Amino acid sequence: MILLTRKIEFSASHLYHNPDFSPEENRRVFGKCNNPHGHGHNYTLEVTVAGEPDPVTGMVLNLADLKEILEREVMQRMDHRHLNYEVAELAGQIPTCENIARVIWQLLEPKINEGKLHRVRLYEAPDLFADCYRNGSNGAAKA
Amino acid sequence: MSTALKIELGRRYRFSASHRLHSTHLSEEENCRVFGKCNNPHGHGHNYVVEVSVSGDVDPATGMIANLADLDGFVAREVLDVFDHRSLNEEVPAFREQVPTTENLCIEIFERLKSFPKARLERVRIEETSNNSFEYAGENADYDREAVRQEGNRP
Repeated sequence: MILLTRKIEFSASHLYHNPDFSPEENRRVFGKCNNPHGHGHNYTLEVTVAGEPDPVTGMVLNLADLKEILEREVMQRMDHRHLNYEVAELAGQIPTCENIARVIWQLLEPKINEGKLHRVRLYEAPDLFADCYRNGSNGAAKA
Repeated sequence: MSTALKIELGRRYRFSASHRLHSTHLSEEENCRVFGKCNNPHGHGHNYVVEVSVSGDVDPATGMIANLADLDGFVAREVLDVFDHRSLNEEVPAFREQVPTTENLCIEIFERLKSFPKARLERVRIEETSNNSFEYAGENADYDREAVRQEGNRP
């Protein structure tokens, strides 16, 4: 099995706020991320697809197709947007790395028909990221 | 068939420390041959990057597997405060007996972090330099092997 990874970057703003929490609780749990005016990040997304290379093309899937899927599903939805207010799939959720990674997985999985979505890794900053995969398929390449 | 989605949170930390690769079970010549430059009796240092991955349910109220402040505090107390700007050989008890290779450092840090109370420790990955990295998942790696075996048995 081969793992193929494509990386894209997008920039977006967000804030963390739970309307069921008191203002004090929101500040305690979310810290600086609770600033009501929001703040932003340069997100880096790594999408990994697993599969066998096609004997004719030598490809797991055509990178141009993957690029187009990422453009349509992720860039157009999230790039230069406010994740709390402008991304319907995140409505009612705190837009943490964990939740955004899961939403991106759910958007991409049905669109990837050659190979199989293996991992979504979303970096909010170089030192903070979330990984999403199907349980039992734990990140590492398998024979 | 679909199985549940699994989410992990990954966080990178940094510390700088010195070490010397030397085994009391080997002769001077053997130490020199096996460890090369790393056997220099005066030691040398690295800027280590430690990547810690934890998993668990994402709390719907916070959107988080674990609060970063809790994870950062735990890693600072258990690892960074103990290792940063230290000699691994002289100041970390585990390395009085063991050679402080990054393999052994992965195991030592995994053992120190596995009791994190707010999430499950999945793995520790350490970059000794930007060219060398090492990973340890403790017994979690056995689940991986089991999954591989089962996948292999599928028709």
